[in-house]
Amino acid sequence: MKKKLLALVLVLTLVISALAACGGGGDADGGGADGDAATTLVVAMEGAGLETFDPGNVYETYASPVMNLCYDNLFNFVGDDPNVQPILVESYQFSEDAKTLTCVLKPDLKFASGNPLTSADVAFSINRCKNLKGNPSFITDTIESIETPDERTVVFHLTEPDSAFISKLTYKSMAILDSEAAKEQGATDAADAAETDTARNYLDNTSLGSGPFVLEKYTPNEEIVLVRNENYWGEPSDFERVVFKLQSDANTQMMTLTQGDVDIALNLTDDTVAQLDGAENVAVVNKPSMTVCFVMFNMDPEIGGPMANKDVQQAVRLCLDYQGIQQIVGEGTVTPYSFLQDGFMGSKGTRDVSYTDIEAAKQKLADAGYPDGFDVELTVCDLSFTGTALTDVAQKVKDDLAKIGINVTIVQQPWAAGFGDAYRAGEVPFTVMYWNIDYFDPNVQLEFLPGKLVGLRAKWTEDMDPEIAALIKDCMAETDDAKRAEILGKLQDMTYENGPFIFVAQGPCHYGYNTRLTGVTFSAPHVIDLTQVKLAE
Amino acid sequence: MDRLKFIGKRLVYMVIMMFGVATLVFLLTKMIPGDPVVANLGQRAMSDPEVVAAYRAKYGLDKPLIVQYFMYMKNLLHFDLGTSIRTNKLVRAELGRCFPATIELALVSIILAAVFGILFGVISATKRNSLLDQGVRAISVTGVSIPSFWFALLMLYFFYYKHHIFPGPGRLSNIYKAPNTVTGLYVIDALIEGNAAKAGDAFMHLLLPSIVLAAFTMGLITRTARSNILDVMSTDYIRTARAKGLSQNSLIMKHALGNALIPVLTVIGMGLGNLLGGMVLVETIFNWPGVGQFAYASVKANDFPAIIGVALLIALNYLVINTIVDILYGVIDPRVRYS
Repeated sequence: MKKKLLALVLVLTLVISALAACGGGGDADGGGADGDAATTLVVAMEGAGLETFDPGNVYETYASPVMNLCYDNLFNFVGDDPNVQPILVESYQFSEDAKTLTCVLKPDLKFASGNPLTSADVAFSINRCKNLKGNPSFITDTIESIETPDERTVVFHLTEPDSAFISKLTYKSMAILDSEAAKEQGATDAADAAETDTARNYLDNTSLGSGPFVLEKYTPNEEIVLVRNENYWGEPSDFERVVFKLQSDANTQMMTLTQGDVDIALNLTDDTVAQLDGAENVAVVNKPSMTVCFVMFNMDPEIGGPMANKDVQQAVRLCLDYQGIQQIVGEGTVTPYSFLQDGFMGSKGTRDVSYTDIEAAKQKLADAGYPDGFDVELTVCDLSFTGTALTDVAQKVKDDLAKIGINVTIVQQPWAAGFGDAYRAGEVPFTVMYWNIDYFDPNVQLEFLPGKLVGLRAKWTEDMDPEIAALIKDCMAETDDAKRAEILGKLQDMTYENGPFIFVAQGPCHYGYNTRLTGVTFSAPHVIDLTQVKLAE
Repeated sequence: MDRLKFIGKRLVYMVIMMFGVATLVFLLTKMIPGDPVVANLGQRAMSDPEVVAAYRAKYGLDKPLIVQYFMYMKNLLHFDLGTSIRTNKLVRAELGRCFPATIELALVSIILAAVFGILFGVISATKRNSLLDQGVRAISVTGVSIPSFWFALLMLYFFYYKHHIFPGPGRLSNIYKAPNTVTGLYVIDALIEGNAAKAGDAFMHLLLPSIVLAAFTMGLITRTARSNILDVMSTDYIRTARAKGLSQNSLIMKHALGNALIPVLTVIGMGLGNLLGGMVLVETIFNWPGVGQFAYASVKANDFPAIIGVALLIALNYLVINTIVDILYGVIDPRVRYS
């Protein structure tokens, strides 16, 4: 028995030693390797919640860089250029009333499968997204119908003027699918697609696009592997493979970047960026993202109580310590001037942090009839924005309001267990929330104005500010960017000290990358545009 | 015969337990406040009643609770765990994907924990109150009390970031593709593929998280082994054996260890059950796609078919392990009777 045991231990030790020797300690020696490290781009990003890469269903932020590599859109944003560019489109015409867009496709476009990309594929992809009635279907809300008079021409007819429509076509759910291949997998663009389409599981693991890469394998919580599309119609990438390592922990990302195991880390924090100081072959990008954190009051006095009072709202606006909030959210944070983030076309930039004036805030509170302040509950959910918990910002708001006699009690409520429903129904009296843009166009921020999606969550109706409501319509209908910027400027001025929202922070993003690469920049629509990342000479 | 009867009884017990667990977890997920629609739909989509209605209909969430329950149970009878609301994939497939990663990690962890735990227990008991004993006890207390996420970061920092002795997070280095799935255990699958370098790489990736996870169980095993060996060493039959002139090594290996191992086996079984349930924080830090991360994401999304699936899997783990441990009792100590 003893001898058998000894023999077993010996065999085990030998096997383990042999395996460890093959593994080569900390460094893989590349024996039996499946890919070349030099031509493999490895990107670390958080991706615990990534559920789908089906263009008709995709919604999550971190699916964007993957989708951008596997699929093409009619139009897109390239690198960090804020101007939209035609990608699959050779020429286009947007009608003056902003209700009809005619696009002519480039000739000789093809999918990774080798199938030609035609107007029928465009119509199929966008109709499918609309009819799936999924998370991203809202992006097609203004589409009435799509005509395809010939193989290269697509005509979009809109239900209402939509000056943001071309920007909407850059959204990841507007990616163009190989309709022939997709139909073989059970995809349909029929009106009942929500019940009959069965292609999602296939498209979660394989791409059917025309982008420079093809999705080879997706292992949730581990990695996404893309390989070069050998049939790509454009200029081929420097890389043969792109591997996304789904690392939720910023420390892990920092360590793997420093060790050269990943080339780009997309979710670094202030602390981890500080640790990269002096690291060899590592560079850092610190930029404000388009994610905003805001304080919201309910305009209905029955729900909002004293917070519905415009003077109280202005008192809060005056007493918040914007610089302190920036420090909590991290380096690179800015405070937007109003509802439009810094960086958007027509944005008036940032609010000066010296805006804070405690004495003026106290006076406003007295004007509102609360010279001695009052007690109020601030409900906040369990979400985070750009790495900062909303509860941390709520705590800062509580501290700041105490300076003018408003005693805040923070009530925490999980997003999925009540808060989400109440917020959607406009029943939250006073909160701190965040918003991430769906598509890269200033019109996306009009939702914060009276009568619009988020405005209504604060019970801010059109009749409360008819002048603003009229300008929204003008903005939606204006296709001339200069004129639209003028309207947006007016709207920002009108909401600088008015309305149920105070935009307290535009969160930062911190990327780290290996200096063997060039072209690593922040991209608001795609998180990062990896089509522009190349090997340094 | 007794043993077969015992296993048969356990199987019946297992089926009843599984239905009990499924019912309990189903009711719990429905009782706690939380709406899968809010958890899974984006802010835009959840404001569109048409989208919300389509979503509820797709996953049967628009049906009365009792109908949902019977539908679920009917499917369960056909070994169908349903479709995940979050990922739209079969829960069975999802568990089949992430469970092998957990098994691989749990097995290496439990082997490390058992080997070193018993070894330390023996050393500690035989050198009672010596400096060595104190050292081993300090290690075991540290193993039990150190927070695993912190220990994980620490290990990664020293052995990967600072000294690069072990590879970084993940199951394989970037130059390797995942081996073709046969067992789902990368080391084995890579060996089946005939790629020893890939198997070695997968094995090296296993070591650091395994050590982190082994620390807790090893601490428990060391303490249990030590106290049981000490108990056994003070029994009459050991005294008699010693009086007959047996050496200390022979006493421990031939006479004491067997009896002292029975409670240790229970601890190993519990430890393995615990590890097979998945470890969210360690899996997150080591980028390990196991059951823990899947369970966490499912709970956050209030994805009840997935939550029940994970609960059933964990319950099954414990039931199977307990049955195996009970059988092993009889192997180690023939006096144990099955009843």
